[in-house]
Amino acid sequence: MAKTIIQMINIIKRYYIGQPNELQILNGISLDIHEGEFVSIVGASGSGKSTLMNMIGALDRPTEGEYFLDGTDISRLNDKQLSNIRNQKIGFVFQTFNLISRTNALKNVELPMMYAGVPRKERSRRAMELLELVGMKDRYTHQPNELSGGQKQRVAIARAMANDPAIILADEPTGALDTKTGHLVMNIFHKLHKQEGKTIVLITHSPELASETERIITISDGSVISDTLENTAENAGAENTEVSGE
Amino acid sequence: MKNPLLKRLPRELKSDIGKYIALFLFLSLTIAFVSGFLVADNSLKKAYDDSFEKFTVEDGHFILAQLPEDDLLSDIENEFDISIYPLYFVNGETPEGHTVRFYTQRDEVDRIDVLKGEFPEKDDEIAIDRLYAENNNISVGDIYTADKKNFKVTALTAFSDYSCLYKNNADMMFDANKFTVALVTDDAFDSLSGAVQYCYAWVDHDRDMDDTAREDKSDEIMKYIAKKAVLTDFLAQQNNHAITFTGTDMGGDKVMIQWLLYIVIIVLAFAFAVTTRSTIEQEASVIGTLRASGYTRSELLWHYIALPLLTAAAAAVVGNILGYLVTPDMMASMYLHSYSLTKYTVIWNADAFVRTTLIPLAIILLVNLVIVSVSLSLSPLQFLRRDLTRKKNRRAAKLPNWRFLSRFRTRIILQNRAAYIILFIGIFFSSVLMLFGMMFSPLMDHFKEQVVSSKFSEYQYLLRMPLETDTEGAEKYCAAALLNDNDEEITIYGIDPDSDYITGLDVSGDKVYLSDGFMEKYGIESGDNVVLHEKYSGDEYTLRVTDKYDYPATLSVFMSRETFCDMFGIDSDSFSGYFSDEKITDIDEKLIAATITEHDLTIMADQLDDSMGRLFPIFGAFSTVMFVLMMYLLSKLVIEKNTSNISMIKILGYTDREASGLYSRATWIVVVLSLLISIPLSGFTIEKIYYTMMLEYNGWLSYWVAPWVYPMIFVIGVLCFAAVSLILMKKIKRIPLAQALKNME
Repeated sequence: MAKTIIQMINIIKRYYIGQPNELQILNGISLDIHEGEFVSIVGASGSGKSTLMNMIGALDRPTEGEYFLDGTDISRLNDKQLSNIRNQKIGFVFQTFNLISRTNALKNVELPMMYAGVPRKERSRRAMELLELVGMKDRYTHQPNELSGGQKQRVAIARAMANDPAIILADEPTGALDTKTGHLVMNIFHKLHKQEGKTIVLITHSPELASETERIITISDGSVISDTLENTAENAGAENTEVSGE
Repeated sequence: MKNPLLKRLPRELKSDIGKYIALFLFLSLTIAFVSGFLVADNSLKKAYDDSFEKFTVEDGHFILAQLPEDDLLSDIENEFDISIYPLYFVNGETPEGHTVRFYTQRDEVDRIDVLKGEFPEKDDEIAIDRLYAENNNISVGDIYTADKKNFKVTALTAFSDYSCLYKNNADMMFDANKFTVALVTDDAFDSLSGAVQYCYAWVDHDRDMDDTAREDKSDEIMKYIAKKAVLTDFLAQQNNHAITFTGTDMGGDKVMIQWLLYIVIIVLAFAFAVTTRSTIEQEASVIGTLRASGYTRSELLWHYIALPLLTAAAAAVVGNILGYLVTPDMMASMYLHSYSLTKYTVIWNADAFVRTTLIPLAIILLVNLVIVSVSLSLSPLQFLRRDLTRKKNRRAAKLPNWRFLSRFRTRIILQNRAAYIILFIGIFFSSVLMLFGMMFSPLMDHFKEQVVSSKFSEYQYLLRMPLETDTEGAEKYCAAALLNDNDEEITIYGIDPDSDYITGLDVSGDKVYLSDGFMEKYGIESGDNVVLHEKYSGDEYTLRVTDKYDYPATLSVFMSRETFCDMFGIDSDSFSGYFSDEKITDIDEKLIAATITEHDLTIMADQLDDSMGRLFPIFGAFSTVMFVLMMYLLSKLVIEKNTSNISMIKILGYTDREASGLYSRATWIVVVLSLLISIPLSGFTIEKIYYTMMLEYNGWLSYWVAPWVYPMIFVIGVLCFAAVSLILMKKIKRIPLAQALKNME
């Protein structure tokens, strides 16, 4: 059994604590995700999946419960330590890409490495490698407004990989893309999972997309209602790992 | 860890260069103005303080009716351990009626500083006071006529014992327009026609006495001399307005100027913070990405406040450089326009540096730190999703069933209320400054009109002793000066109950009236008791106030001559002078202590106008720039925040003009409302400041605002925004239709 990279024990998240409109979004979620897994978290709008992603991504702290990310108890870290965890252990891919405007593809990929203090030459080399991995090497000088949606998302995936994170957390990564481009992006995730052995957590409301992953965790009303293994690591997306330009 | 965000700063500066240049210029000029003022004030104060030692300013002087006997002066010197030096003078007149006080060179005491030119060497040469010369457009080389002789002006000077040109110590105000001290050669002095005043100045050998000891010692000197000679005048340094008034007046405006700076800085700090907050909203997704990539909140916080801080720091540096190199002379000219000060050099002022550099930077840092950190306190995910509201389920305010466009504009105002609140504050402070700059000159004119219309008589004589006159209509009166609790001089008049000059005042019995300014200044009501005291003896007099009398010129008390004589324990037929509409010619001029003319009564207003008059246009210009700056920055911000919406309504078919109408008319509404609220509010504020300020001055000028001032401020405010609107209109025109369709990247 691979080592547990995400361990959540009875996670509760409340907002407006002590106020009349106090809201409990997560109701004691417990789950383990192992190194190298390709997991999707699905749920309807308002089910709590985004809040769960918030917790997994160390973007927020739980109100109660324990969360160990790669062995570190996240729930006790301050803002600076959480920021460091995000920089070193997590790569984010967002639905809306969130590339930095007026900054070319190469620099966007270099961004997390700049923060991590990677020397200029080294980070340029690695950024080019990553752009090549996602099929965007020839567009490295392009600025976000010169790229299509799919191309932006591929740059965003390269950026997520920049610091060689323990997990890649993708929040509706194909939500803003057409079906064909969405498949291309999913292929990159499969490739990263298969070739690089990355742990990937995909947040989606699409059962179709979720079905491409090894394991589907379904959230409803802030609780895990199902946790099923769909595909094995051997066959998940194996037929579609080629990446081509748009 | 190197912060890669640093690289973005030049780009961000470039992209909003207009805003930063405007803020930089305004801030640096404000700091230059205040720094210059503080540096000048400090430098001049030091020059003034140092002049006492440097030019050996007297500890006092006395005037004898005739030349003393041979050993009198040496007796006084030995008795009191002092040195006495002759300081003879002769008063002369110019053809314009100005008084010139001629002296010869003094080497030991009250030495003279030559500011321009050379001391006179020939008998037809003269050195006059620099300020008097400036007020009368006299330059070195000019011919100056005095005592019916023509002199060539060889120097403009500062007499160390006349830093303030008081002709007589009893005068209400100094007069640098019609009185000067002058230096001529010994032979020229001997040829003057007026009577020589045998004035002697003394310098105490003990330099470490405190004020009380000095006062006591000067009293003893006076008594000693009075026993041995006929004294016509005796004045210790601490009572000599010509020497001390400058020192007490200097620095009086410092607090006001500093507060002006702090208010401007606070308003600008909020303007910086609100525009930064808007930038944060626009860059929410970038912030979210950076936060998700590991950037901490504090790194982003410092990034967003870096440009405001750097702008403020650069402005502080430039402002201080200007404050030392350019503005001190401008600011010093305000003092030099009132006082005859010796030469000064600009000196480093650590206090000014703290007040104009460190405190403004701290204010900008603090305001921005608080507002920006609150803005950045949202979670990374909220930034990523551009969900920047703090309240869940926030609902739009319910508006009445107005026309669609009215509701649309109201929503624009509500959505941008933070910017509009800052705009209102900016407009309010600008209105305060503008009102301050505009109100004083008309107020002085109004005061002078009132004084002239309420003067008792064409001529008012104060005699050295009671003397009869045959002048028709001349009416006797008594007068004395007492001090109130604030040591402000109050003139007590004893008048005839059926006076032809002070009419409508029933002074029968023990009735006592106070001039309206006196009552207003000290909040005295009819029926109150007022306690006054003698300056030297300390004898107290308690007066019960019957009512007020409309006499704005001086702080005065009116009673019958009988009550007056009773109160001071003098003969009932005693008197101090005459009111007369005719010039009195049958009394020797030497026996007339003072002739109070219209000029004497309005001199306080003239002097205030003279000394502060140069500040008024500065305040006017300053407030106009502030109007434009605040209106431009904040309405630009509203448009930038709504770029996508403006683009969208253009797509829906609105023309540029209509789109501009929707957005800039919302700002128009706010500007007009802000002006309508701010102007009366600024009137209220200035009235409070005015009363506090006037309490510092001797005398009283009632608060009055010319009727045209408020409408004028409104019109200027509207014109400023009209100019800003034209710029904004261009900005709206430049928003492309495709903007609404663009991805935020």
